[in-house]
Amino acid sequence: MPGESKAPGKPEEKTAVSRRDFLNEIAGGALTIAGIGAAVVTVNYSSPNVLFEPPTTFRAGKPDDFIDPVTYLPDQQVYIVRSDKGMWAMSAVCTHLGCITQFKPESEQIACPCHGSKFKIAGTVQAGPAPRPLPHFSMVLGEDGVLVVDKLEIVSDSEILKV
Amino acid sequence: MATTAWTHERLEQLRQTRVWRSIFRRGPARTNRTRSLAVFGNLALHVLPVKVREKSLSVRATYYLGSISFFLFVVLTITGILLMFYYHPAVPEAYRDMKDLVFVVSNGVFLRNLHRLAAHAMVVAVFWHMFHVFYRGGYKPPHEFNWVIGVGLLLVTLFLSYTGYLLPWDQLAFWAITVGTNIVSYVPVLGRPIRFMLLGGHIIGQNALLRFYVLHCVILPLAAVVLIAGHFWRIQKDGGLTVRDDHE
Amino acid sequence: MSENNSYEAGLSSDALRQPQRIVFITRKTSAKVKGEVGPQLMSFPHVILREAIAFQILTIALVVVALLWDAPLEQLANPLLTPNPAKAPWYFLGLQELLHYFPPVLAGVLIPTLVILALVVIPYFDVNIEGEPLWAHHRRQRLPIFVGVVAGLIVFLAIYQAWTVLVPTVLLGALGLTPYFNPTSTSRFQRFLGSRPLPWWVMTWFIAVALTLTAVGTFFRGPGWSWVWPWR
Repeated sequence: MPGESKAPGKPEEKTAVSRRDFLNEIAGGALTIAGIGAAVVTVNYSSPNVLFEPPTTFRAGKPDDFIDPVTYLPDQQVYIVRSDKGMWAMSAVCTHLGCITQFKPESEQIACPCHGSKFKIAGTVQAGPAPRPLPHFSMVLGEDGVLVVDKLEIVSDSEILKV
Repeated sequence: MATTAWTHERLEQLRQTRVWRSIFRRGPARTNRTRSLAVFGNLALHVLPVKVREKSLSVRATYYLGSISFFLFVVLTITGILLMFYYHPAVPEAYRDMKDLVFVVSNGVFLRNLHRLAAHAMVVAVFWHMFHVFYRGGYKPPHEFNWVIGVGLLLVTLFLSYTGYLLPWDQLAFWAITVGTNIVSYVPVLGRPIRFMLLGGHIIGQNALLRFYVLHCVILPLAAVVLIAGHFWRIQKDGGLTVRDDHE
Repeated sequence: MSENNSYEAGLSSDALRQPQRIVFITRKTSAKVKGEVGPQLMSFPHVILREAIAFQILTIALVVVALLWDAPLEQLANPLLTPNPAKAPWYFLGLQELLHYFPPVLAGVLIPTLVILALVVIPYFDVNIEGEPLWAHHRRQRLPIFVGVVAGLIVFLAIYQAWTVLVPTVLLGALGLTPYFNPTSTSRFQRFLGSRPLPWWVMTWFIAVALTLTAVGTFFRGPGWSWVWPWR
């Protein structure tokens, strides 16, 4: 019968697959596809498509509202920094493990209470275990003269808004 | 005494009734055969062996650390289920419910204390159990796979404790979980997607609380039960507990 | 037992894989395997009874402490205000202390993963099957390896200024060397140390480091993760 056995001593010949083996392979393949499909569907299900989280783009106010070198906006966890070169918006979330930093005016430093990271007001790491500088967010001056910050758009440190 | 004899006779009569014998089949465990059946024929107990070596029963052999870990799990399950009656896994109800449990609900503060205490004790017991098994060589062949199941149980215990930690939704809970999930995001490639799925979003909020609640109350306890069953079963099948010779 | 028993003894050829069984074949009796069996008891009632007692003692202890000690409850979670210090649960404080010295990828991901892998792999690498003491054989060859590894570890830790890990490492390294220098000591402690195999030393070092890290993280760390003395 075709595909039943190979004659011993002969070199490997491509024999026909038996009906049983063929059906087994088809079943196994179908189950594998079903299993992978189930896993993919579950992972997709678990990743939410719509998030009910606070909006990430916000209006910060007019530039003249910010007279201090560093102003902290608590609702957004963002610093609005003003220097002689211009203004920028910076994340107040420590890049180490996510604690909220605090600006210390007496030492002109931004300090994190969790593990002692210290940042300059430009965002660069001065001390502590933080691996990256505080990211700067895109900030543009809208037509009505109000600053608009987008927390999802990270810009480089050199982008400074001239006001 | 006459009353004891009377009670015994009534109990014997009860045991002869058809209803009783339809439920309990083996009869009183007074012969070695019925004692064997008490374990072998029991749904819950047949994971244990019918006979054990005498030296494995001494306190100094194992300090009963494995048993203690299991009993703490039982206590946590019972107190946990009771606490679930008053807890809503939602922001801000969760914190209000904690206050409710502690100040208003009868025995609420006691159950909560018991749950938290047993949780800390279980982490200690599980670690101590692991170190003790190592030092008496209980991982050596043929017990290798049971050790691996044990490591799995250690991870499930730690993760259970971690997910439970968030549920009170107080400052301690919130920031401890912030630190923990940020560590997860440092895993290369998969870190950020895993964190996103774990929290159900980018922030620790409503979705995160619900997911941690489901993990803590359903997924992880089921995993623990399966692994515990396997852990006990392997001890029986691999030849019983390992006891150091100098403890004979 | 009659006075002139003749025995035949045999050992399994693969002593590592098989538990050693010694067969005593005496003349008039059948072969008996003298293994590690020993006297046995019925699980019901002996095991069930002891487990029930253990459960009751545990429950009483838990209930007494639960009545006396209240679980903490701080203020409502405030995503805008990080408490200072922000500490993880105590069983992760050792990890958090480690995070103070090493970058998060190393301390938070790599080291825990390696620890778990090491634990899982212990039984499959024939760890400690024979239980041979560390300094029993090849003392001269093993000394430079031991000193080299410990010294390398100390240098690595010193570069990262991880004092909390360095101190127990130095301690355990010193203890591990004492059997080399005191092989004929009569003190019970010295003889105990001298009989310990390498895996025992590695595990004991791991436990010492973990305990130190957790203790420091719990009691000696204050705001900004700065060093504080717990009695202040």
